[in-house]
Amino acid sequence: MSLVEGRDLHKIYSSDSLQVRAVDGLDLQIDEGEFLSIVGPSGSGKTTLLHLLGLLDQPTAGQVIVRGRDTSRLNGSDLTRIRRENIGFIFQEFNLLPVLNALENVELPLRYRAMKTAERQKRAMEALDTVGLSQRAGNRPSQLSGGEQQRVAIARALVAKPALVLADEPTGELDSENTCRIIELMRRLNEELHQTFAIVTHDLFVADYTNRKITLRDGKIVSDEWQEGRPLNCDLPFED
Amino acid sequence: MERGEMPRFILRNMWRRKGRTLLTIIGIVVGIFAFTVLSGLSARLNQQLGGAKKFYTNHITVVPTGGNLFGAAGKYLSLSKVAEIEAVPGVRGAVASIGLPLDLQSGAGSGTPEIIVGTELSGGGPELLAFTALQSGRLLQDGDRGKVLLGLNLANKFNAGVSDTVQMRGVDFQVVGIYKATLTAPDSFAFVSYQDGLDLFRAANPYFQVADIAGSIDVLAQPGVDSEQLSVTIQNQVSDIKAISPNDAVKQISQFSLIFNAILIGISLVALLVGGLSIINTMIMSVSERTREIGLKKAIGADTRSVLGEYLLESALIGVLGGLIGMGLGVALIAVLNTAVKTNGANVFTISRSVILTPVIFATFLGTLAGIFPALRAARLKPVEALRED
Ligand SMILES: Nc1ncnc2c1ncn2[C@@H]1O[C@H](COP(=O)(O)OP(=O)(O)O)[C@@H](O)[C@H]1O
Ligand SMILES: [Mg+2]
Repeated sequence: MSLVEGRDLHKIYSSDSLQVRAVDGLDLQIDEGEFLSIVGPSGSGKTTLLHLLGLLDQPTAGQVIVRGRDTSRLNGSDLTRIRRENIGFIFQEFNLLPVLNALENVELPLRYRAMKTAERQKRAMEALDTVGLSQRAGNRPSQLSGGEQQRVAIARALVAKPALVLADEPTGELDSENTCRIIELMRRLNEELHQTFAIVTHDLFVADYTNRKITLRDGKIVSDEWQEGRPLNCDLPFED
Repeated sequence: MERGEMPRFILRNMWRRKGRTLLTIIGIVVGIFAFTVLSGLSARLNQQLGGAKKFYTNHITVVPTGGNLFGAAGKYLSLSKVAEIEAVPGVRGAVASIGLPLDLQSGAGSGTPEIIVGTELSGGGPELLAFTALQSGRLLQDGDRGKVLLGLNLANKFNAGVSDTVQMRGVDFQVVGIYKATLTAPDSFAFVSYQDGLDLFRAANPYFQVADIAGSIDVLAQPGVDSEQLSVTIQNQVSDIKAISPNDAVKQISQFSLIFNAILIGISLVALLVGGLSIINTMIMSVSERTREIGLKKAIGADTRSVLGEYLLESALIGVLGGLIGMGLGVALIAVLNTAVKTNGANVFTISRSVILTPVIFATFLGTLAGIFPALRAARLKPVEALRED
């Protein structure tokens, strides 16, 4: 059984005059433990697809199936619950809350679950430790570099131990060294914690480090290749 | 959701836009401040009227046609009406009285007017004077001349005790008794005999040939006779008068507090409107500024209810803060004014529990109410749309 599956997915945005087929008849299966990338030119539907798979958006037609369960008939609160239990998000713009410090930002997903404060803080601290930022727990996002902010965002995506992490251009605003470290971190989490990563990127070098590369154009999959992910060594200059 | 930690984050969010938050809170503060001060005034008035009810409602009050409980401006009753009223079956006694301001330049003072009341001391007079307990001395009695029975405020003002002599309108009077505080109008009354009152009245109006007149006549019913019915009978049998029954008296007094309370409610409604609109405006701005954050929270598992609760709490908090500060300032002003005007004994404002609690509860309610629409807007945001916003 796939972790998440899209069946004949369509997402059509209609305004008065024109229709945009952002996702246009797309089939896709992602299995547990995969480390894959989704590439394609700007406007090819990558973000839309990610939002559909992450149950943030509903398809115009087709189904998203999470662990064998069809989600197309579910209401908002059921979708929220499935999302909460299975899916973590990482965004290009980090999307940390500026009024919360690093630890509080990482804790946030746990706040929406019934969990004791002590347990919540312990798990948030562990997640921060995983991304190497336990020293910066008390810092606000404005006091952190872009790379550090994205690591906090990754810790936030991991803290609830979701099976699937969806990342939308996670390195889009980072320099090459930080890009390398973020990819390295995600790959380590994939290998050690068996978390599944789907990474949207338009950076083909980033895609080279994943084990599967899906290419979109005009809302359709034009290629879906399995590959040996390139080994990483961030101590050497990173190609970009 | 750990409820305990929410307010901390909400306060930080409010602090992010300190200027705007502060202005919104000030908007509430101004309204609640006015509301508090007026409530203090209203509480004082109601207290006073409550006491006045006791004073006026143990008897029927007869005044000139067109008058109200407090007499008729420039019109008086002929003393012959006393006999006419006493002839009505069911009447036990009729007591003439005449009132005049203590000071020649009347009405200038703040607070309760100070009044000399000349009361007929034969018949039911002393009984009517016994409307409340004495602190010291005795009531006036039949035959007293040149004697005065003082309300507590006036006793304090004259700094006089029993058997001291006080001067009123240039005439010496000996104090025979002092009432206990009633916290109402009679605290500022000086009761003298009818004849003394009339003499003072004549002295004040030298160009005006005054026969024996009364400002009002207080009528006592015989035991077992219904005062309401007796009032109607008097009205029908005696010409050129207006008989005010105890119930009518209560109605007239209540009308005063009704008018004042209507003004209070009016001002509060304006405060409600202005304060509420400014909260709505601020909250809508907060929601649109934080659209992305709301999207993010929803993406990582916030349900509609927690987003709704967060924004409602923020809005309620603006109300609470505005309410507390406004009430605090209002109470402070009341305290200052009360001390400043304390010289003639009476407080102008009353600080009661409701004067303190009502504005705060009101502001909290207002804040919550004003937050409903913006909070619903936040809660209903679609996560994708919110995340695509920049
Ligand atoms: N809310 C929307 N309304 C209308 N068109 C949209 C909306 N969101 C995305 N689109 C359009 O859908 C297409 C795919 O967008 P997107 O998924 O963001 O592409 P990518 O992430 O690959 O750049 C684009 O043409 C975009 O303009
Ligand atoms: Mg995109």
